[in-house]
Amino acid sequence: MNMNVAVDRLATETAVSGPNADPIISIVNVSKSYVRGSLVALSDVSFDVGRGEFIVILGPSGAGKSTLLRCINRLAEPTQGKILLNGKEVCDNRRELRLARQQIGMVFQQFNLVSRLSVLTNVLTGRLSYRSTWRSFFYSFTREDRAMALECLEMVALGHKALQRADTLSGGEQQRVAIARALAQRPKVILADEPVASLDPKIARQVLNYLRDVSQRLGISVICNLHQIDFAREYAQRIVGLCQGKKIFDGPPSALDDEVLNKIYGLRLENAGD
Amino acid sequence: MSDVTYVDPQPTMTFFVRAKFLAFLLLAAAFLAWSANALELSPGELIHSLPVIGRYVARMFPPDWSALHGLWDPTVDTVCIALWGTVIASIIGLPLGLLAAKNINRVSAVRLASLTMLNVLRSISELIWAILFVAAVGLGPFPGALALGVNFGGILGRLYVEAIENIDPKPLEALRATGAGHLQTIMFAVFPQVLPQIVSYNLYWFEVGVRSATVLGMIGAGGIGFELVTTIRLYDFQQTSAILIVILLLVTAIDRLSAVLRRAIVK
Repeated sequence: MNMNVAVDRLATETAVSGPNADPIISIVNVSKSYVRGSLVALSDVSFDVGRGEFIVILGPSGAGKSTLLRCINRLAEPTQGKILLNGKEVCDNRRELRLARQQIGMVFQQFNLVSRLSVLTNVLTGRLSYRSTWRSFFYSFTREDRAMALECLEMVALGHKALQRADTLSGGEQQRVAIARALAQRPKVILADEPVASLDPKIARQVLNYLRDVSQRLGISVICNLHQIDFAREYAQRIVGLCQGKKIFDGPPSALDDEVLNKIYGLRLENAGD
Repeated sequence: MSDVTYVDPQPTMTFFVRAKFLAFLLLAAAFLAWSANALELSPGELIHSLPVIGRYVARMFPPDWSALHGLWDPTVDTVCIALWGTVIASIIGLPLGLLAAKNINRVSAVRLASLTMLNVLRSISELIWAILFVAAVGLGPFPGALALGVNFGGILGRLYVEAIENIDPKPLEALRATGAGHLQTIMFAVFPQVLPQIVSYNLYWFEVGVRSATVLGMIGAGGIGFELVTTIRLYDFQQTSAILIVILLLVTAIDRLSAVLRRAIVK
């Protein structure tokens, strides 16, 4: 079993990531099924994520993209398989999980900010995992934390809105705040679950630019779920195609031809051709 | 208002529905008649005793304002009982409310225990709690505050549970994903969302507490109610009416104040 996994990983690395011998995240034979209705969301998905790599997970809705991301930071429990972060398994133990999540920022489709708190406080919540519960009890942060949070806000060009309530910002701005919150964690990886699905195309491109920008400047790996093919082609260094919970493509955007798309989107494109 | 047109979605009532409705009315009437009998309610008795009630009311006038002398301290006591009662209620209600909320506590046994606890506190009236606390810690405003605190703790806790369970779960998930701990998540994702509601509930139950505290005084838990019941026992109804007027003014003032505060805070 272990041998198989090792061989499999070696194969993917040499085939796809080339020299990337030291992955930040390894997804190893991960399956997830929901007990009720025995729905299989993911079946036996494996791939490695290189350091600083911008990966787009592409697939129609219901393909299991969201479940895959949520298995990585254990917002969802994989039924089988494991996730390695820096070569170490992300496990259920509370303290270890906290340390793992600290290194994995997450950006959501609906931004998920605390609407009644200020923009700055929202970004500061990215620092909570570094601070004691007692300190948080008084809503107190260190000077360094506040400075760092502001710096993260500057990176998404929202420093001037730091003291506004989060719900006074537009959708695109809120998503940038969410990116700043993830950056405040000093993460190695950012998981972005359909980050632009509720934004119009122009704002979407802006948000994706910020995401790519921080990835390149800070060497943060990004795993980004998208369902728009053109965005995937434009932003991804590598695309992983999911369909009905199975990985059916893993390669550079240039290899994403019509035949592959047909496999990912299956029926939909066939219908479109009729 | 008058230009609202109402469209009846079910214009025809079937015979069966009418019959069911009629049967229900008859059943309710029968039950009311039976319970009136159990209470020995009789209109004749009421008419007979009207003159007596009238005589008592007449003896209340004019109010004897000398009763106001020395009434300041008990009045302040009453407000303080309500204030501390509400504070104690929040201290009891908030932790229990968090433990009983489905989206915060996944351990169903603890949830059930907290809910049961809240139910017990709530179903025993503050009057009964006051009698127990007066017996335990003696006469005075302190047992009154404790009694209000315990009973209102049960009520507020239940209201907090509803408020907490209705929050937007998305920020909660986002904070969990950052690696923040349980308490940190509660402080930063739950409290900001429920704070306006909590403040509003507390103000309202403070208001109710002021009314309740006047009653608690009657059984020896201090405050203005104690003065009121003393004048009744002495058959000094002119003083009784003066104190009743003070209570009326006090409760009205507190109602107004809390309404203004609530409007200012909940935005």
